[in-house]
Amino acid sequence: MTRALALDPRTSADKSQKRRSQMTAALALKLERERRREAQMAESSALKKIVVVDDHELVLNSTVEALKQQYADAQITTAQTAASALAQIAQTQPDVAVVDLALPEQAGQTSRPETGLHLLRTLMQQYPTLNIVVQSANAKSLVRLKPAINAHEGGFIIADKSLSLKEMLTKVEWAMQGLVFTPKEMRTGLEIKPEWLEVLRLAFQEGLQDKAIAERMSVAERTVRHYWTQVQDALGVYPDTGKNNRIQTEIRAREEGLID
Amino acid sequence: MQKRQQLWTTLQREWHIWKSGARLGLAVIGLVALLRLTGGLQVLEWLALDTLLRLRPAEPADEHILIVGIDEDDIQAVGRYPIPDGQLAALIETLQAGQPAAIALDLYRDLPQEPGSADLAALFRTMPNLFGIEKVRGAAIAAPADLPDAQVGFSDLSTDLDGKLRRSALGAYNADQSEFRLSLALRLAERFLSERGISVAQGIRDPYAMRFGRAELPRTQPNTGGYRQLQPFEVETMLLFRSGRQPFERVTMRQVLAGQVESERVRDRLVLIGVVSPSVRDTFNSVATVTGVPAIPAGTIAGVEAHAHATSQIIQAALAGRPLLRDWSEPLEYAWLILWGVLGIGLGRFLVRPAAILAGLGLGIVTLLGLCFGLLLAGWWVPLVPALLAFFLNGAGLTAALFYRHQQDLKWQLRDRQYVIDHTFNAIHSGPLQTLSRLLSKTRSGDLPPDQWESMLAHLNRELRTVYDSVRKEILTEDGSLYLSEEQALDLNGPFEEALYEVYAYTLARDFDCFKTLKFCVTTFDPLETTGLTLEHKRELCRFFEESLCNVGKYAVGATQLEVVCKQEDGNNVIRVTDNGRGLESEKPSKSAPGSQDLGGRGTQIAESIAYQLGGKFQRESILPCGTRCELKWNPGKIRFGV
Repeated sequence: MTRALALDPRTSADKSQKRRSQMTAALALKLERERRREAQMAESSALKKIVVVDDHELVLNSTVEALKQQYADAQITTAQTAASALAQIAQTQPDVAVVDLALPEQAGQTSRPETGLHLLRTLMQQYPTLNIVVQSANAKSLVRLKPAINAHEGGFIIADKSLSLKEMLTKVEWAMQGLVFTPKEMRTGLEIKPEWLEVLRLAFQEGLQDKAIAERMSVAERTVRHYWTQVQDALGVYPDTGKNNRIQTEIRAREEGLID
Repeated sequence: MQKRQQLWTTLQREWHIWKSGARLGLAVIGLVALLRLTGGLQVLEWLALDTLLRLRPAEPADEHILIVGIDEDDIQAVGRYPIPDGQLAALIETLQAGQPAAIALDLYRDLPQEPGSADLAALFRTMPNLFGIEKVRGAAIAAPADLPDAQVGFSDLSTDLDGKLRRSALGAYNADQSEFRLSLALRLAERFLSERGISVAQGIRDPYAMRFGRAELPRTQPNTGGYRQLQPFEVETMLLFRSGRQPFERVTMRQVLAGQVESERVRDRLVLIGVVSPSVRDTFNSVATVTGVPAIPAGTIAGVEAHAHATSQIIQAALAGRPLLRDWSEPLEYAWLILWGVLGIGLGRFLVRPAAILAGLGLGIVTLLGLCFGLLLAGWWVPLVPALLAFFLNGAGLTAALFYRHQQDLKWQLRDRQYVIDHTFNAIHSGPLQTLSRLLSKTRSGDLPPDQWESMLAHLNRELRTVYDSVRKEILTEDGSLYLSEEQALDLNGPFEEALYEVYAYTLARDFDCFKTLKFCVTTFDPLETTGLTLEHKRELCRFFEESLCNVGKYAVGATQLEVVCKQEDGNNVIRVTDNGRGLESEKPSKSAPGSQDLGGRGTQIAESIAYQLGGKFQRESILPCGTRCELKWNPGKIRFGV
């Protein structure tokens, strides 16, 4: 702007007049666009929607309290049974669902991990991009969901119930970013899907960017990004301040012999 | 819950059995009815009637009838046949002296037989109680010329298609349909009864029937009783033969002429004169009664005897209330048939043990025979054969079906036993035997410290002890679980790829040497098409998958990568396990020997068995540069049922 104004005296009056008005318009447009984006972002953060599902009212309340502190403007809804959880999620279309594994199907029935497993299975089927945080005391019972989790395209975080509140909130944040986290005891060695291997090869051996990788693999770019989060989970690479995730991933992949 | 479901399945199965059983039973009833309607059972019903008639208890000789039978000796004494009219006139005069109710001459005298025809003609004209015969059907034979028309009865007897006599004609139009004639039996009965104040009248139940007092003579119809499409004389009734060896008193012509027959034996009686010599063909087939004449072959009676029976049944019915032979209405007959058919079906329904059904069958048949016999004694001819047929076919048919079912049960039991044996071996093979083989190979290579020895043996001990429990759980509960180990139960009712994944996760966590060198596994667990897969199929597929992974753990020496694929490829379900290990050629299970007793052989056996059941293909092959690929592929649309 300053430069444009400085240039002004050196141009002809007519021309400069025209130019100035053009530039002012462009600037105004740009400013307007930026303002709108900011407003949008503020709005979206304000309208974060979270559904919390837990059969214990105490646990439910403490989770909701913690989430409220973190996301002051978030719209938080709760459910205590699998059936009402499905209804709530269908209604609010949340950004993230925090689900306890032991749940009753209907109010008054006993809580069973099978019900939670079934709920998760249904959620992943109906909302392939839903971000999910599973609270569970025993991650082993989730092993059988692994094929479904691998096929899921949204964030999927398994949070141990013994996690501190702060760690739990981090996990929720990860989930909102679409990350995948599965605890160690759910794994038997390094297990990866053929698609992930392909992403690693195209990125680190052919140096392709996500967009090119997506084209080569005939999938959406966001799918490629999700493959990244999944393979990063398999390799144990999680967001860490001061570290570059992609580089960390390449290092780990070479260590494990996934790429030569 | 499970109990209720079992009950439900049982009910459903029973319903199916009974539905088909009852349908078959009703079809049998319908078939028997059809057979009867088309006349297919006619002959059998005649025979049944004859048999039952013969079985009746003997009746005393009819006190109202005397037969003068001209036998072979009489003919020899006279010296010629036909008997001359003079002889007959003498005979009739002698008899008339005894004051009989009537005398019937059952001999054709359309032509005079000299000598003495004038004497006989005079008797014909003057004796109002002397009856003669004519023949109205077929080649007609005229009555004696001098006999008044009211004293002429026809002697035609209606025999059935099998040549046997069961009916008695009472009235018929003569050959040219010009005149309605009455039978000799009816004439005699009418004469005899009118003297006792009982005259012939119109029937009450059937206005076209004849009636003597309370005795209405039931008319034989085309479909009477067991008859089908019968063409009876105009008025006819069934013949309820007088039973017993000596239904009528009988004397010979010689005895009469010699004065040996006291007048008491003649007085007020109907005297029938006829030939009873086999040399004269005047006999009729009948197995329902027996002839009183020794010379006449069994199964036949003399014509004069037949007329005596026909006359006797009318007189006895009118005077003594002796029953006449009647039949049921058609609806009642078929209701009876259906009743017995349904009883036959009921046998199988209410009795389960074949022996009980046989007993029930016997009891039912005896009851049916007894009922039919009792009803016959009361004068009812009820359909025995159709009812018997429907009852027996349904009862015995169901018995046979039960025997068949019993045999099927036996087959299933054998199958189940084989299944238990296989199951047990599978459980031993995938657990303790694997540990044992590991122990063996370590011992051979000598790198087993003593402390590990003990821990491995303890492990083996534990594994062996859990075999029983896990097998029992799998077989008895049928709850859709597969027990990988004591504490690891797999839900086979959920998504199948999840179950396979659990097998994968469980197996890879096991302590196999070759798993230790693995750097990573490339896995694909996509949903498989599971329609048509039974729990047992799924269980065996899991076992196969477990076995394939175990083989990698045991034989894929130096493997760094493992590729596991469970997905659909071109409409086929594929389970594939590929490793890049060197393998141990010597220990590698051979494809060509499925019956061999080594561990891999057992695995191959499982694989080939499940591949066969699913109509799929099993392959195990080495790949280059090194590694083994084990693959099971099947088309979900081609699963064999009930193998």
